[in-house]
Amino acid sequence: MIDFEEELKKFHPSLEVEDAEDHIHNTDVIDVVDLMIQLAEARRNEE
Amino acid sequence: MRCFNCGAVLTENDFCTNCGEDVRIYRRIMRLSNMYYNDGLNKAQVRDLSGAVESLRQSLKCNRNNIEARNLLGLVYYEMGEAVAALSEWVISKNLKPEKNVADDFLSDVQGNPTRLSGINQSLKKYNQALSYCYQESFDLAIIQLKKVLQMNPNLIVAYQLLGLLYLKNGDYPRARRTLERGIKIDKNNTQLLSYLQEAKSAIEESEAVAVGSSRKSGHKTRASSESIVYKSGNETIIQPLNTPEKSGSSAFLNILIGLGVGMALMWFLVLPARVRTAGNSAQEEIQKVSNELTEKSADIDELNKQIASLTQDNTDLNATVEKLSGGDGLAEKYDILFKAALNYVQNPEDVINTADMLKSLSNEATEGDDAAGLEYSEAFTALYDFLKGDVFAKAAAEYKDKGMEAYNSEEYQTAADNLNPAFELDPTDDSVLYYLASAYRSMEDSDKATELYSQLVNNFPDSEFVEQARGYLRNGAVDETAANNNGNGNGNAEAAGAADAAAALPDINALPQENTATQDAAADALQEALNAQ
Repeated sequence: MIDFEEELKKFHPSLEVEDAEDHIHNTDVIDVVDLMIQLAEARRNEE
Repeated sequence: MRCFNCGAVLTENDFCTNCGEDVRIYRRIMRLSNMYYNDGLNKAQVRDLSGAVESLRQSLKCNRNNIEARNLLGLVYYEMGEAVAALSEWVISKNLKPEKNVADDFLSDVQGNPTRLSGINQSLKKYNQALSYCYQESFDLAIIQLKKVLQMNPNLIVAYQLLGLLYLKNGDYPRARRTLERGIKIDKNNTQLLSYLQEAKSAIEESEAVAVGSSRKSGHKTRASSESIVYKSGNETIIQPLNTPEKSGSSAFLNILIGLGVGMALMWFLVLPARVRTAGNSAQEEIQKVSNELTEKSADIDELNKQIASLTQDNTDLNATVEKLSGGDGLAEKYDILFKAALNYVQNPEDVINTADMLKSLSNEATEGDDAAGLEYSEAFTALYDFLKGDVFAKAAAEYKDKGMEAYNSEEYQTAADNLNPAFELDPTDDSVLYYLASAYRSMEDSDKATELYSQLVNNFPDSEFVEQARGYLRNGAVDETAANNNGNGNGNAEAAGAADAAAALPDINALPQENTATQDAAADALQEALNAQ
């Protein structure tokens, strides 16, 4: 049985054209490669 | 593949031949990203759009520079109706790889059709509004709004999800099923749509089972009430009214009569009064309107009458002014006389008498700047009049005086009076003219006129040399008569004759040049002696 209230919480407002610029600026573009590079640099610093 | 540390091209070795960095983990991450991309591509090809989105996001988490994965993610978003999310991915892709990027084509296609982009944006706004209605528990409004959204943007998966959920909430399972199935045609493996569809199908099957069970119990046909029969045909419920026997003819006729009576009563008590009231109201409004118009027209007529009266008064004033200007005594006539006098003065300088006569006909008020009508003379008029008067009147007075004295000495007293009168009018300061004028009248036995003129001489010229003589005549009117008679007939006593002679000698004395004062003095002495003797 579906819980309507819980299901409704899964919906979020869709992006509008006016929000596109903010969305692009706030997009998190850090990837696993960035994390790997940071780890490598940290290891070098420890050495 | 290039080294993440120095950017050199990597070989088959596990390290960078340029900087020596270990690239084994980096290679694995790249392979993982590509694997997710391939997975997303496969899912997208079978229209598992939501699954493709998940895989492509994983790919980008591994390698944000996976341009193909990002472009495909934008394309999948666009196919799901999320145009703004698609544009965002393509813009980021374009930013990461400005050259030779297929995102250029996607952006050009979308931005090249602003009408479609605007329609998609409007549909997204309406979707957000519908979601807001859901939060406010206005589910009916939300359903109406979502229907409009799906007409404008039929690929918007979230709208199908929300609309299906609302139908489920309302218990409208068939519509929920139809809506969710339409969404699944676009996104075949959307777990949310599938779960809602499963819920809808379960509910429908459950209701069908209940209906079948109940129909079997009642022999597949139930009498819902005494007036209808309920059928169950698949998912549809059919309610058929029972046939009722027809009434007999007399009762039907009676019912028709009753209906007619009720209808007429309704007409009489409800419809007619309303119609009469409506007609009365409209007539009252018409009367009010006409009354207002009449009032306005009356005001206009009053105003126009006032204007007519004002204009009539103006016309009367103007006519009076014109009459004053152009009438017999008007300014134009006086200007005409003055111009004629000036012309005569220029053409015949010696004919001063005619010129003076013309000037005399002008009103004395001309010299004061106004005529009797209250109209102003011009400065040029007054100046010309004064010039002519100053020059002509003196000459004319002298000429009249000469003629008068000549006639007086010739004992032509009437002619003398005719000339001396205008001479005195033209030069009222000349006491000698007044004296001889009076004497002329005395000689013509016009004692009243003579007495008047002698009195004028005595009163106005008290220092005149003729005053004593005038007083002498005035002291005794009989003497005047006697003197006149003596003067006229040559009879009487010697004293009176001497006085008359002395008086008669005066013209000659007065006619002498002014500088001959000695002669004048002698004559005055003689006159005085004659008076004393008298």
